Amino acid sequence: MALNRVIARLDIKQNRLIKGMHLEGWRFLPKPPGEYCKQYYQQGIDEILYIDVVASLYGRDALIELIKETTNNVFVPITAGGGVKTVDDAWQLLRAGADKVAVCTGAIKNPQLITDIADRFGAQCMVLSVQAQKNKTSGKYECYFDIGRENSGLEVNEWIAQGIELGAGEILLTSIDREGTRKGLDLDLIKLVSEKINIPLIASGGAGNVAHIGEAMAAGANATAIAYGLHFNSFTVQQAKEALLAQEIEVRQTW
Amino acid sequence: MSTDGIKTLHGLPEQVIFCKKCVQNNQRPSSSREFVKKDTKIETVGFGDDGICDACKWYEEKQKIDWAEREKMLAALCDKYRRTDGTYDVIVPASGGKDSIMVALELKNKFGMNPLTVTWAPHVYTEVGWHNQHAMIDAGLDNILVTPNGKVHRTLTRLAFENLVNPFQPFIIGQKNVAPRAALQYGVQLIMYGENHAEAHNKIGENYSPLMNIEHFTREGDEMDLYFGGVHINELPKHGIELKEMNPYIPLKADDVRNAGIEVHYYSFYHNWSPMENYYYAKEHSNFQSNPDGRSEGTYSKFASLDDRIDGQHYYTMFIKFGQGRCMNDANRDIRDGFISREEAVELCNKYDGEFPKKYFAEVLEYMGISEERYWEVINAARSPHLWEKVDGEWVRKYKVS
Repeated sequence: MALNRVIARLDIKQNRLIKGMHLEGWRFLPKPPGEYCKQYYQQGIDEILYIDVVASLYGRDALIELIKETTNNVFVPITAGGGVKTVDDAWQLLRAGADKVAVCTGAIKNPQLITDIADRFGAQCMVLSVQAQKNKTSGKYECYFDIGRENSGLEVNEWIAQGIELGAGEILLTSIDREGTRKGLDLDLIKLVSEKINIPLIASGGAGNVAHIGEAMAAGANATAIAYGLHFNSFTVQQAKEALLAQEIEVRQTW
Repeated sequence: MSTDGIKTLHGLPEQVIFCKKCVQNNQRPSSSREFVKKDTKIETVGFGDDGICDACKWYEEKQKIDWAEREKMLAALCDKYRRTDGTYDVIVPASGGKDSIMVALELKNKFGMNPLTVTWAPHVYTEVGWHNQHAMIDAGLDNILVTPNGKVHRTLTRLAFENLVNPFQPFIIGQKNVAPRAALQYGVQLIMYGENHAEAHNKIGENYSPLMNIEHFTREGDEMDLYFGGVHINELPKHGIELKEMNPYIPLKADDVRNAGIEVHYYSFYHNWSPMENYYYAKEHSNFQSNPDGRSEGTYSKFASLDDRIDGQHYYTMFIKFGQGRCMNDANRDIRDGFISREEAVELCNKYDGEFPKKYFAEVLEYMGISEERYWEVINAARSPHLWEKVDGEWVRKYKVS
């Protein structure tokens, strides 16, 4: 069985690291994004996740240079997303040094894109990014796009099932309700999705302390993406992993 | 550009220009007293010969402000007005939005004041607006909710829409009155507003004072030469509104306000105001929720102006009349606060500005009691020929920001 993974999530706007709440808010962090990555790499991070949070709003390829720069001193897989609308967009990110691409808006608007990317680069490369928010009336989780700004009306598990059938090799599941809140991940959502799928699941949104990460893994996530906790030094990668190991959740040890 | 025959409506400048730093156009009127007769001479946002709008010029000045010094001034102001006998010492006009939550909680927790928040009710609360109103109260704040007579408010809203294409005017009038009235009733001498609108679109000089001119909510002597929704107060009975029903809208007597020693201050004079930072503050200190449906219609933001089902029409009528949509409004702010570049703002404006607010449209029509045909008749008559033209039967804007 593959090891569980601890992933650093970096939301990027115009080459700067930001941290929002509920995928809203563009508060900048002080240092260049690459420096955060380098630090997490040295602490033993398993993967880097770069999301260009404005690319889908107005089409940018701000990540290209950042990925190139990051690959100079960070030697773990990099997933890049934001604004991928075509196979060529994906190719640009991969050629710059990304190992996988995360697609949300582009896939909802054109589901065939999932198949096209998977056929060209392999399913392991095609990460379906799902921005989920609970509909308080119906209780169902709905898929949003354009960085949590538009509701597609698609139910999360239906869309994920379709995405897997079309060729997605991994799911990045972000809870809009929890994102940026540090209140813990949405365990109901993680269970709901993980029970239905047999491809890796990255859970994102709400990790405020090391215990939250273990809870997400126990609920069925194969990986947890962390932003606030790492960017604001609430804990280090090693502390997160030590806590997971203490719960007998297997992760890669680098110390 | 000054071709013969082209005229402008609403007293707007004939030549349209956009600020070179932000995306503000020169068409947006400055705030003026709402309850007087609206004439054709208006003041619009100022521009320099260098093509930079006054708001951006002000932001250059703002960078020089010593905010630590301003905070000391605020502390001194609070020291002057703070009470220890359990009575309220500051009125905070509040909608339960991120901005009012920040101001009221900071006054209470950081400066030891005893604020009373006062809310002028939206036309029709949204669910999230009602939730946030209670999030504010639950964060530890007393509140008075003042709700006007629904029949009168609907009629005034319709009149303001039909006569001025400004359905928000009755709301604005009531909102400006509500805090000073509460101050008089509770014997409170300090009122703390949030943002001074001069930062965005009023005269630049107003930014140098912490005080709001009381003319926005007062009248001199027994003056009753008042207009609401473009109708003289004496004519309102023809529309089914009696004088006694106008109580919440009639401005206070200026001498009453002066004699009571009431001062109206802006928090943005003392604190480096940023809607984005206020969002984070409200999230961290209360159960404030952003728009549960994603972005608000007509813009990219999820956290602003959420409480009223008619909000969308406020911004849409501005877009029709002045070519400034809700997105432009947000983008200008975010450019000046350093969150987005002008290039990003241009793309956002061209993507979202002018998007029709359809979510509550049926309710808006029902609220005002007009048909959809009548709605469009009013809207289309408000399109100034220097901003709009009809191409193949469709209205298109003559100017887009670039």
